[in-house]
Amino acid sequence: MSYDDRTQLAHRQHVKYFMRFLNILPSSLSSHDTTRVTIAYFSVSGLDVLGSISSISLELRSRIIDWIYLLQVPPNKNNGDMSSCGFQGSSTVNIDLDDINNHYKCGHLAMTYTGLCILLALGDDLSRINRKALVAGVKALQTEEGNFSATLSGCESDMRFVYCAACISYILDDWSGFNIQKATEYILKSINYDFGIAQCPELESHGGTTYCALATLSLTNQLDKLSIEQVEGLKRWLLFRQVDGFQGRPNKSVDTCYSFWVGASLKILDMLHMTNYGNNRKYVYETQDCVVGGFSKWPDTCTDPMHTYLGLAGLSLIGENGLLEIVPALNITNRAYEHLKTVHQKWASELIEL
Amino acid sequence: MYDSDSDIGWTFYKDRPEWKDITPVPEDDGPNPVVVIAHSEKFEDVYDYFRAVLQKNEKSERVLQLTKDAVELNPANYTVWQYRRDILKALGTDLRSELDYVESVIKHSPKNYQVWHHRRVLVEWLQDPSQELELTGDALLQDPKNYHAWQHRQWAMKTFGLYGKEMEFVENLIKEDVRNNSAWNQRYFVVNNHFGWSDMNVQKEICYAMEKIKFVKNNESAWNYLRGVMLHDKRGISGNAVVTSFCEELYNNKCRSPYLLAFIIDICDDAIKKGESSSFHGADRAIELCHALATKYDKIRSKYWNYIGEKFKKLKKEQEDQQNNTETEEN
Repeated sequence: MSYDDRTQLAHRQHVKYFMRFLNILPSSLSSHDTTRVTIAYFSVSGLDVLGSISSISLELRSRIIDWIYLLQVPPNKNNGDMSSCGFQGSSTVNIDLDDINNHYKCGHLAMTYTGLCILLALGDDLSRINRKALVAGVKALQTEEGNFSATLSGCESDMRFVYCAACISYILDDWSGFNIQKATEYILKSINYDFGIAQCPELESHGGTTYCALATLSLTNQLDKLSIEQVEGLKRWLLFRQVDGFQGRPNKSVDTCYSFWVGASLKILDMLHMTNYGNNRKYVYETQDCVVGGFSKWPDTCTDPMHTYLGLAGLSLIGENGLLEIVPALNITNRAYEHLKTVHQKWASELIEL
Repeated sequence: MYDSDSDIGWTFYKDRPEWKDITPVPEDDGPNPVVVIAHSEKFEDVYDYFRAVLQKNEKSERVLQLTKDAVELNPANYTVWQYRRDILKALGTDLRSELDYVESVIKHSPKNYQVWHHRRVLVEWLQDPSQELELTGDALLQDPKNYHAWQHRQWAMKTFGLYGKEMEFVENLIKEDVRNNSAWNQRYFVVNNHFGWSDMNVQKEICYAMEKIKFVKNNESAWNYLRGVMLHDKRGISGNAVVTSFCEELYNNKCRSPYLLAFIIDICDDAIKKGESSSFHGADRAIELCHALATKYDKIRSKYWNYIGEKFKKLKKEQEDQQNNTETEEN
């Protein structure tokens, strides 16, 4: 896509793009079958960043909300066990199961997190969530090491799910399912010799996992556990990711999504203003499809909802016109965040009434 | 990911006589679903039967085969993989053939979390990591920066102590692409877990990094490694004469790589902190280098280098104030 300083956001096309994804997807996306909630999140949050949440009709809004709630796994009917609770990513295994195989129907941390974000963006009051159960579902997934598994039924554990668990706890305003000390230890152990942060201790530093780690430290008020040397090292490592747009690791190609992952990490460290906005903006716009909407990771390649959302979120961080502000650590708009605060107030007042 | 049209000779489960006893369970996506995927007929058929057997908790050979079809249609379905593992256990299936099977799936989907997790569980069950270095080695031949493959490799090495030939492997990767940051990371991993950071090893690794920097000067991976190794050098980043003279030699030979200049700035910083600053490695030099980076050699980060430059200016002022105070006291 050609670019000059006058290049504009293909606003109308991006709105249409997300609306299409909210509706129906081609069979080529069958491998996303278990993670449909994340596609809904990129679309709804994308419309929100575009300032176009009102493009979602009231009818569609309630359909999305009902669908998300349908994916909430309730406590075990017989024994009240809540360790499987959370949101599923789709209805693929949304079936009744006996006690003996009940564990196959379980929440997934990334789906619970993005499901809650969707509800917030749509202005739902979260009155239909089972808060206690969701917190118990988070608690059941923290490992000895301090990180989190995604689900109860056979999944890897790493930094991505530490972040999701932190966001869920923050949104639910309840940290009893999240051992902050242990998670912080895990994060500190995952800081590498180049001061970037990895998926787990000793792996290669990565822009995405560095974001997950820093956002978690920010949400848990633990940024002060980083030494001055670590903070300065992180700043340098993150700033060196800028080539024109941002790369995720040293000597790798630039990719649209890191304008958000690295950009938001720098914002959390109050260093984003040290980057070159012009070059960043130029790169992201080179990956924009002005005709059918969407952003891709590289110029002239296929667009997808994730890169489209993160491209917009990255532009929003640097103050692009026509985009709503993003809360970097939660990855939702400021508008949705303000709504969350009213939900928190309501919960707090309910507690007082009790 | 696989086109159903190309499945010549494929029989739907609903048309198979040996599955007559099972009533398929369609997906219940609620009355008004969103983000609906228009799955192929084959996908729907396989998953309708998967839901049915899951509900019945049937663990049999035919279900084992069904899970194979299900993961072929969507290798990211973690429930199918988990169910498959539970069947393997229940039937006491030969796990060696399962290793071969998952290897073929990994070759198809080398960047899928679930397949690598399945592999890891099998290796744990068998307590046999003998094929893991080769498997991950093959994956890294395809993509030397595949994060999943590195993660699995490090896990296997750490769990089973397989460090013996790793340095050779890493050397070859770095030889092939000196900018492969994953390989540099793995080098650090091997020294950290296997050889240890004895003084001799630290010096050896410093020399190795310097040699590679001489070869390609503007390589962040090698410079980061050098700085990382020096975290283990008791003399600090400013106290190793071999390194400081190496940097000055590069500088004198007109090298202006931002990584070199940043490194010299770090040397200055370390020297000041230890109260060992000199005219060569002190605040003035750092300020001058920050200015050069901001205006000429690393303009994209000009704001950052100005910010670092300001820090040194403050340090310098503090130093001067201190000196003045001491002089006043002496008077």
